[in-house]
Amino acid sequence: MKSLDEVIKNKLTGLYYRNRILLPFTGYILKIMVDDDILTDFSIENGKVEINEYEEFLELYFLEYEDLTEAISKFESIKLVIVEKDNDIFDFDNHRKILLYLNQNHQLSIEETDEDILFIE
Amino acid sequence: MMDVIRKVTKILPITLFLIFIGFQSGLLAKGAQNGATAQAPVVQAEHAANALPDTFMVVPFILLLIMIATGPLLYKRFWEKHYVKVSLLLAFIVISYYMIFLNDAGSVLHTASEYISFIALLSSLFIVSGGILIKVDKKATPVLNVLFLFFGAVVSNIIGTTGASMLLIRPFIKMNRGRIAPYHIVFFIFIISNMGGALTPIGDPPLFLGFLKGVPFLWVIENVWYIWLPAIALALTAFYFYDASNKKESVSKTEYTGKVKISGYINFVYLGVIILAVFIDPGVISWVPSLSPLPFGLREVIMFAVSFAAYKKADIKILKANEFDFEPIKEVAFLFIGIFATMIPALQLIAHEAKAMGTKLDAGIFYWSSGALSSVLDNAPTYLNFLSAEMGKYGLNVNVKADVINFVLKDPLYLRAVSVGSVFFGAFTYIGNGPNFMVKSISEKAGIEMPGFMSYILKYSVIILLPLFTIIWLLFFFNRG
Repeated sequence: MKSLDEVIKNKLTGLYYRNRILLPFTGYILKIMVDDDILTDFSIENGKVEINEYEEFLELYFLEYEDLTEAISKFESIKLVIVEKDNDIFDFDNHRKILLYLNQNHQLSIEETDEDILFIE
Repeated sequence: MMDVIRKVTKILPITLFLIFIGFQSGLLAKGAQNGATAQAPVVQAEHAANALPDTFMVVPFILLLIMIATGPLLYKRFWEKHYVKVSLLLAFIVISYYMIFLNDAGSVLHTASEYISFIALLSSLFIVSGGILIKVDKKATPVLNVLFLFFGAVVSNIIGTTGASMLLIRPFIKMNRGRIAPYHIVFFIFIISNMGGALTPIGDPPLFLGFLKGVPFLWVIENVWYIWLPAIALALTAFYFYDASNKKESVSKTEYTGKVKISGYINFVYLGVIILAVFIDPGVISWVPSLSPLPFGLREVIMFAVSFAAYKKADIKILKANEFDFEPIKEVAFLFIGIFATMIPALQLIAHEAKAMGTKLDAGIFYWSSGALSSVLDNAPTYLNFLSAEMGKYGLNVNVKADVINFVLKDPLYLRAVSVGSVFFGAFTYIGNGPNFMVKSISEKAGIEMPGFMSYILKYSVIILLPLFTIIWLLFFFNRG
C-alpha cells in the first residue's frame, strides 16, 4: 500500500471512469467537495457517494453524477479531506487536503494543497 | 419519447438560427426593394408600428422566470441537465409567434442584436477576469475587510459585478482564513456582487441593457452616485458591526507576509480593451463602421476576439487556482436567449398598459416594484420591463433610441428609481443576480456552510437590506414623481 506522501511526491495518478474514481492510497475520508456539493455523510444510505476500501486503493462512486466530466471542468477539482491510515483522526494536523483533477485518458491527478483553496474545518 | 425530445433539442438551435437568417434575408430583400441603406433593417425594426401580441404570449416569459428561480433549488439535477432545452424551446415558441402570426421580424432582429451585445460584454469580462489571480496575504481585521469591500464595490463598476465577484471572492475568503463566517460571504454578495455595480452600465446587466437601449453611459454615475454612496456606507457600517463582534482568531499555521500578489497582469490590458470597446459603436463614434445588416458590430467582434486571446494565453496555474469553468457563462448565455426572446411580448404589453395607467405610478412605486421583482426574478429583464412601463406613461417606445434619450432628459427620477431598485434588490435573494449563486458556489467549494435560500433572506436580507432600502426610499423616492 502506498502512502499519501509517496503518491504526492512521485506524482502518481489515480483513475476515473464516468462517476467512479480510484485512488492509489487508502485512508479515512472526512469530507468531499464535488461541484458545489459538500459531502460528509458516508453511510450506506446516503445515496450520494459510495466508498469501497480495498487493500491497495480506495474506490468512490458519485451516485448523483452520471459522468463527473460533465460537472467538473479541466481547471476544477474534486476536493477531499482525508486522514491516512494509522494516523490520529482527531489531530487536525493529520487532515490532508487533496485536489483531484480529471485529466485525459481516465487519469486522475492528485495534488495536495493548503495554500490557494480553503477547506474550512 | 426521449429520443424525440433529444432530436428536437438537437435541431432547435439550428432551426432558431435558420429562422433568424430568414428574418435577415427578408428584411434585406425589403430594404433592397426600397433602395434603403444598410442601416434600414434595424431602423425599420425600431420604428415598425407592430400589432400588440396576445396577452397569453407572456406565459413563456413567466414560465422561464419561474423555472430559473425554482430550478436550482427544487429540481436541481433536472434543471442542470435540461435548462438549455427549456430556454431554447420557449424562445422558439415566441419567435415563431412573431414570425408567423404577427409577421414582425423587426422586433426579433432588434432583440437578437441586443442579446449579442449583452452576452459579448458579460462573457468577455467573465473570461478575462478568470485569468487574473489576486492573493492577499494579510490578516483580516474589520477595518481591512471594510476597505476591501469598498474597493470591490468600486471595481465592480469597472469589470462588472460578475468579474469583480469572481476576482475577489477567493482573496476575501483567504484573507479571513480561520475567522470566516457566512456573514462575510453574504455581505460580499450584497456589496460587491450587487449594490456596488450601480454606477456604470458595465457594473450590472440591467444598466448595460439600458445603455444598449440609449441611456447615455455617464448618466448612471451622474444620477446615482449620491444614492450609491450612502447605501454602500450603510451596508459597510452594518458589516463592520458584524465583523467587529467576530472574536475568532486565525487558526492558520502560516505567518502573514502582508503582501498582495497579483498574477495575470496582461489580462488588465484585455479588460481595458473591453471597456474601451463598449464605446466603439457607430451611434457613439461616427467613424466607427457599421456591420449592418449583421446583428452585431465591431464592438462585439473586439470583445469576442479579446476573450478568445485571453483564454488561449491564460496561465493554466491561474485558471486552476480560480477553478475556471465555462459553465456559469454558458448558463447565462443560454438562459438569456430564452429571456430576451420571451420578454419581447412582455415589454410591449407593459409599455402599452403603463400608458393607460398614466400618472397613478410614482417613483416610489417604480423603486419598490422593480426592486421586489428583481429580488426574485432576474434583474435585467425586470429593469427593461419597468423602463418600458415608465416610457409607456409618456407614449414613448423603449425600442427607439431617440425616445429613450428624450425620456432620460425629460424625467430622470423614474429611471433613477428603476436603476437603483433593479441593481440593489438583486442582493435580496440568491436568485436576484447571476453572481450571487456563483459566489455561494465558490464559498461552498471552499467548505463554508452557506445559509439556505430562506435563511439567507430571513437572517440577512430582511434584517439588513430591508431597513437599508427603506432609508433609500425615504430619502430619495418617497412622495416624489
